[in-house]
Amino acid sequence: MKTFWLFLVYLLIALLVIVLGIILGDIGPWYFAWLVGTVMIVLISAAGGALLDTQEDEKQSPRA
Amino acid sequence: MEAYVILKSLWWLLLGVLLMGLAIMVGMDMGVGTLLRFVGRTDTERRVALNTIGPHWDGNQVWFILGGGAIFAAFPLIYATAFSGLYVVMLLLLWTMIVRPLGFEYRSKLPGTGWRNAWDWMLFLSGFLPMVIYGAAIGNMLDGVPFHFDWDMNSHYTGSFITLFNPFAVVTGLVSLSLSIYMGGAMLMGRTEGAVYQRARKAVIGGGLIGAALFALAGIWVSFLPGYQLVAAPDPGAAQTPLQQTVTVASGAWLHNFGAHPALWLVPVLGFAGMLLGTLAAGNHKPILTWWLGALAWIGVIGTAGAAMFPFMMPSSSDPSQSLTVWNSVSSEHTLAWMTGWTAVFVPLVLWYTSWAFYVMRGKVKSETIEADEHAY
Amino acid sequence: MINGTVVALSRWQFAMTALYHFLFVPLTLGMTFLLAAMETVYVTTGKQIYRDMAQFWGKLFLINFALGVSTGLTMEFEFGTNWSFYSGFVGDIFGAPLAIEGLMAFFMESTFVGLMAFGWQRLTKVQHLIVTYLVALGSNLSALWILVANGFMQDPQGAKFNPLTMRMELHDFPALLFSPDAQDKFVHTSIAGYVTASVFVLGVSAYYMLHQRHMALAKRSFRMAALFGVLATAGVITLGDALGFVGGHAQPSKLAAMEAMWHTEAPPASFNVAAIPSQREQRNLWTLQIPCVLTPLITHTMTQTVPGVDTLEAQAVQRIKNGIPAVEALKELSGNPNDAQAMAQFDAHQADLGYGFLVQRYAPNQDVALATSGDIAKAARDVIPQVAPIFWSFRVMVAMGLLMLAFFIAAVIFTLRNDAEKHRWLLKLALWMIPVPFVACEMGWLVAELGRQPWTVYQMLPTWMAASSHSVGYMVFSLAGFLLLYSIFIAVEMYLMVKFIRLGPSAHGSESPTRGGGSAGTYAPAAMLK
Repeated sequence: MKTFWLFLVYLLIALLVIVLGIILGDIGPWYFAWLVGTVMIVLISAAGGALLDTQEDEKQSPRA
Repeated sequence: MEAYVILKSLWWLLLGVLLMGLAIMVGMDMGVGTLLRFVGRTDTERRVALNTIGPHWDGNQVWFILGGGAIFAAFPLIYATAFSGLYVVMLLLLWTMIVRPLGFEYRSKLPGTGWRNAWDWMLFLSGFLPMVIYGAAIGNMLDGVPFHFDWDMNSHYTGSFITLFNPFAVVTGLVSLSLSIYMGGAMLMGRTEGAVYQRARKAVIGGGLIGAALFALAGIWVSFLPGYQLVAAPDPGAAQTPLQQTVTVASGAWLHNFGAHPALWLVPVLGFAGMLLGTLAAGNHKPILTWWLGALAWIGVIGTAGAAMFPFMMPSSSDPSQSLTVWNSVSSEHTLAWMTGWTAVFVPLVLWYTSWAFYVMRGKVKSETIEADEHAY
Repeated sequence: MINGTVVALSRWQFAMTALYHFLFVPLTLGMTFLLAAMETVYVTTGKQIYRDMAQFWGKLFLINFALGVSTGLTMEFEFGTNWSFYSGFVGDIFGAPLAIEGLMAFFMESTFVGLMAFGWQRLTKVQHLIVTYLVALGSNLSALWILVANGFMQDPQGAKFNPLTMRMELHDFPALLFSPDAQDKFVHTSIAGYVTASVFVLGVSAYYMLHQRHMALAKRSFRMAALFGVLATAGVITLGDALGFVGGHAQPSKLAAMEAMWHTEAPPASFNVAAIPSQREQRNLWTLQIPCVLTPLITHTMTQTVPGVDTLEAQAVQRIKNGIPAVEALKELSGNPNDAQAMAQFDAHQADLGYGFLVQRYAPNQDVALATSGDIAKAARDVIPQVAPIFWSFRVMVAMGLLMLAFFIAAVIFTLRNDAEKHRWLLKLALWMIPVPFVACEMGWLVAELGRQPWTVYQMLPTWMAASSHSVGYMVFSLAGFLLLYSIFIAVEMYLMVKFIRLGPSAHGSESPTRGGGSAGTYAPAAMLK
């Protein structure tokens, strides 16, 4: 049951984000771009870091 | 009453709240700065004192920034006239204040005694001087400042900067300093133990008693000081400039509001009660109660100045009829309405997360933790 | 009445203190999000090294942050202390974003930065991560509101002049907040901060890699900063173009100065790659041109005309003539707000009020009614800012931007192959790149603010009348004070920064077993050793 409520809460947040995104995209397209762009930059950079760990692991113990 | 008059009055009150918030929160940090050399005899003791406010000084300082921003947004003409008129004093305030963040952040970064002593004295200066200037600025507002306007509202200050340190302003400056020492001491009592605690407690008692005595002195002085009275002016709800009113000056006129509304006497009483009961609370080792009573004392003291002057905010001693009042220096209705909306949303939010931050960092600051924590000041 | 020397000194003081402030701001804007990215990896993978990274870079960040906060206080004071007429004239609309900045952004940033530094032991991993994100969001929202305020000075949207209060007043808040200039400017500036932080982290990491120190930390920081930087640089260039597009329409005089366009050309106009502009002769003494490039660059079409200096000055003459009755009427209204005739005259001419103010400077006794056609011509010439410094600042900024893009692309290629440490030229270059984004940021501000001249608020309030009426002595005193204090500050900051970079992460007593690893390339993730 707890998971279901969590699911509902997230669903609600997602809907809210979509509505806000539509409004913001309409009147403040660059603000919207900043929001999306910043999230993207942070996540790609984070993923790049995690990827390096994998590469280093490969280097240390190359798969046979 | 029309909406604009209500908004004007509301923003006068909100500005008061901000000035109180600033005095309480920033004054507390500055009090710690002033006391740093005296409650801490060894380097570790000083670091303990510094770290009681370490996580909070930056957030607290925003009260100061917000105070400036709110005057700018809600009373642009006060911001313009006061900041430029009190130029040299404002610069001294600014220069001492901008050393403070560096003092916190850089002091313990290097081990040298000379380095640390130098920053300690910087922190002393940047705690002591701004609080004196803060109080002296309020004293000067009560006293009147020599300025006048051109037809296009360009302001001219005609006094010298020495006159800003007149005897009355020095007394109000010392009231402010005493209260900041009281609050700094109260914070130190709450977050330290041992020798630092004991010395801080003495500072609280001293600050409270001297503050109360000086506040009384300032009160008696004000009854002889020339006060300002609005004789003729446009309707408070009208859009106006300070060029359209008539103001007279009469000795003791600052007490007229109290005469007309005797309930206002409760405001200075609150100031005295806060300081004196707070001293008792400190004597009885109740740091949290001491802190809150000190906050009430600030509310009483600043409230007293506001109650005496209303609707005046910055009277002109050289051309009284061009004095700045709530009605003629305030922003437009539209701006005030928007600002009210933002304030209503964000001030509760700020209070909520600020108290959370204090909750997270609760408890006594111990010398062992500081020496182990590389992030400590 | 107005002393030209005082205005000039006030301008110098504001420019110096603002440029100085902006040495520290970009690093704050970008570093906070980079720290958040590092901490995100720590929280999601649980690898200790990322915590060390967040803490080490966090320490450098805080050294920088303290000065950002300090010098920011100056900015908040300076509008009132030195630009009092300006403050009274636009405080109603300009003060609002500044106050909201404090309320919404600065409180958030400052409260949580304390927890970020002191809360490692007291908060859960996720709580601390959220705190770090809130610091990043707070610092960038601060920038948002400041740039909304600046956007208003560049392109005054959402305001109206009220002759009863003799000032500009807010009448449309959303128009102020969503002004295209404010939007582009915010994103451009914020992302320029990301670029600055990336170059900084990349440079310092390269320094460690060159000396084979702290390899685990340096390689990961290098990788993250390179990716962060390449995306941010692309964004900064995109937004720079958008800003030129929007600004070109809102501020044709700035655009003409940026491109040293003295004469209006039939589209498609040619682009000056380099030039030696002469303000006095109103022409370029020498140019290097590419034909047909300017028009599509600025207007994104081939047919729209881009007005040159000659056209703009001719337009200014008309607007000044139309503005003179507005100033006269305003003077009447100042004495008697109920003067219906003056109000009608003001309403008819208020669109050009600012141009009326512009000629007031040259009119005898500063009475616009007495202005001669010679005075008007002088004022009309004023509407073009100083071309040469704007033209060249702009070119330096763009060149630095392109240089950084090229550099980041190279860095990304090598770091993705995980052999950046083998290319010593790249690492050395990375070190040399550290000053580049700072120069670019400062040049950007020079273009923005010099290009706005002669106005403080574009076409509304001329700079010459915006300053406080101080004596020269006061200005010399304050300038000397700032010079002294700020010189000491930068020396102390640089000393600490270099010292803590040299000491490296090991100096901050981290418990990670990987720190200070002497042998090159060999590294073991902290998690594996546990």
